[in-house]
Amino acid sequence: MSVRIKVFAALAALLVSGGLAACGSSSNDSSGGSSTSSSSSSSAKSDGKPLKIGLIPPSSGALAVFGTDELKGWQVAADEANAAGGVDGHKVVLVKSATDGQPATTIRAARKLATQDSAKFIGAIMTSPEHAALSKQLPAIGALNFNSTGKDDGLIGADCSPDAFRSVTGSAMDVNAIADSLSKLPAKTWAIQAVDYSTGHSAAAAFTAAAKKAGKTVVLTQYAPLNTSDFGSYISKLKSAKADGLFAVEYGADGVAFVNQGVQFKLFDQYKTVLGFNMVSEPLFKTLGKKITGFYNNVGYDVDADNPLNKQFVAEYKKANGVDPYYVPADTYMAAQILFAAVKKAGSVDPDKVKAALKGLSVPDLSGQNISVGADGQALRPSYVGQVVAKAGGPGGLGFKIVSTTPASKTHPSDSPDCKM
Amino acid sequence: MNLAQVLNGLALGALLMILSSGLALIYGLRGVMNFSHGALYMLGAYLAYEVTSQGLSFWLALILAPLGLAIVGAALELGFFRRLQRRSHIEVGLVTFGIALVIDRLIVIVWGDNTLPVRAPKAVDGTTNVFGTDYPTYRLLMIVVAIAMAAALVLWLRNSRVGLHIRAASHDTETSGILGINVDRVSLVVVMLGGALAGLAGTLAAPYFSVSPGMGQSILITVLIVVVVGGIGSVGGAMAAALLLGLVQIMGNVWLPSVAVLVPYALLIVVLLWRPTGLAGKRV
Repeated sequence: MSVRIKVFAALAALLVSGGLAACGSSSNDSSGGSSTSSSSSSSAKSDGKPLKIGLIPPSSGALAVFGTDELKGWQVAADEANAAGGVDGHKVVLVKSATDGQPATTIRAARKLATQDSAKFIGAIMTSPEHAALSKQLPAIGALNFNSTGKDDGLIGADCSPDAFRSVTGSAMDVNAIADSLSKLPAKTWAIQAVDYSTGHSAAAAFTAAAKKAGKTVVLTQYAPLNTSDFGSYISKLKSAKADGLFAVEYGADGVAFVNQGVQFKLFDQYKTVLGFNMVSEPLFKTLGKKITGFYNNVGYDVDADNPLNKQFVAEYKKANGVDPYYVPADTYMAAQILFAAVKKAGSVDPDKVKAALKGLSVPDLSGQNISVGADGQALRPSYVGQVVAKAGGPGGLGFKIVSTTPASKTHPSDSPDCKM
Repeated sequence: MNLAQVLNGLALGALLMILSSGLALIYGLRGVMNFSHGALYMLGAYLAYEVTSQGLSFWLALILAPLGLAIVGAALELGFFRRLQRRSHIEVGLVTFGIALVIDRLIVIVWGDNTLPVRAPKAVDGTTNVFGTDYPTYRLLMIVVAIAMAAALVLWLRNSRVGLHIRAASHDTETSGILGINVDRVSLVVVMLGGALAGLAGTLAAPYFSVSPGMGQSILITVLIVVVVGGIGSVGGAMAAALLLGLVQIMGNVWLPSVAVLVPYALLIVVLLWRPTGLAGKRV
């Protein structure tokens, strides 16, 4: 084989690999194929302008599946609104873009949506770093961001923005809800297994304080690095600790590995209560299987909430997608409801008027209560703790039974002092 | 440190031992640091998932996945390593990095992004009492398989004709060729064997860790450290280093949890300062 052919072979290999790898990251440049969709036409009764919402979900990587579900939440809300003649006469138009989850890509997409596509309302951005980065750019592009997944407390703290609003409950709110439920759970002595990351440390600290307040004892607190795959040594220490309750803060693949290996060690047999923080959720039910029956976890959304708005949403979502919604599409749907309510109150799709209308706004929530949006942009929604139970038709035959509901007045009693607008 | 923690160290070391043996073999013969080895391991885990999700036995997966990865290894050897053998090691290393990206992406396209479960067979799904300590039987199985693999590999390398040729070619490829050893054929055997070992490790890891995209990347760094600590290209050195790293890692988790993540790197620095060619140097 000649040298030229060998060089060609090596280059071809690199090009093929690079090309395929590039499939993993996409952007919303004009070549990226932004698309518009709406369900039905409606004539605007006010100024005739459509309500354009730019959506930038992750289209690759581990979060892509959640990005798809965010789009479904927005689509159900848009279809409902358009079927009813639009939002105050404004037809809802979803302008879909995509990101690889990197803040720089997301900001590029948002800038294009706001300036070239005139989509002044942004949604479906997934991660907290993307939201934090975009917050600084929102005044320049004249857009408002409606966050339904980024839970970092900094987004309503040091990184808060008058142009950013959040429908999902924040990490601190969820931890406070768990702390509030502690007195209702049977275990008295607790061990804590948490990810060695800021969320793990803050959750462990909040839990320890709540346990002390509830007259319970924490006998072991240990942290495993993010992306730990072998939990054997941590589980052996947990087995040696004399605790009858386990509070576990392990996410995603780490959480799956921890649960599976805990079962192999028969770890969970020794506990009266296994309480997870973001550890077991509907998307993981199939993967984890029935071994998590009886586990407790914070729950973002009660699919069985008995009120007209939730029943309508569940029915519409199931009709469109064939499955029950879970927290990602539900929180996204609520982001849409908050935006729609503000547009109605403002009587306009002008971002400044919509922003002003969000102050003091009262919106029906999927929980059945009316909620408002705080000055820091946080939607003041209730938080839940649920227990995993067998549920016919649920993912993996499982579902959550809500055991504790904590109002926002307890989980988020005041704005963060770090939020300075 | 109690017995359960020692067994945890051995179980982790066992997995690293199987994985690093294949990597060391390939490096010893081809001089290529195969950055796609983690992706091959991940592919083995996904093949195990595929076999078991079709209702077939995990034991069958333990045979089929290594066989499948041996075929992938043959494709790598014939398609890349042989054609690029006169190129610089950095160039070939970059190609293997590209191959890893391709495999990673193909896996996501075929099986998706979600973490997938693989159940251990019922016979080894419980716990076994080891000197008064209940320990997961599946982890004991991993230790046994790794010891059996190590013994078989060492015996084969030392006593078979092909093993002799591999050891000769690993020391000096050109002289081996002059003396009549078909280096290309030996290399094909070695790369197929390396692939099969990655497949075996992936299959064993599937019920242990679960199966997820990224599992190959996360273990690759550790395996590279094992191979360097063992003595680049030395199978025996890699095996010893794997067990050492497994035990030291668990000791770090127990006694120094806040810095345990640095243990592999600290071990790498200490060993290289003490023995710059690794524990075993260039001995196969």
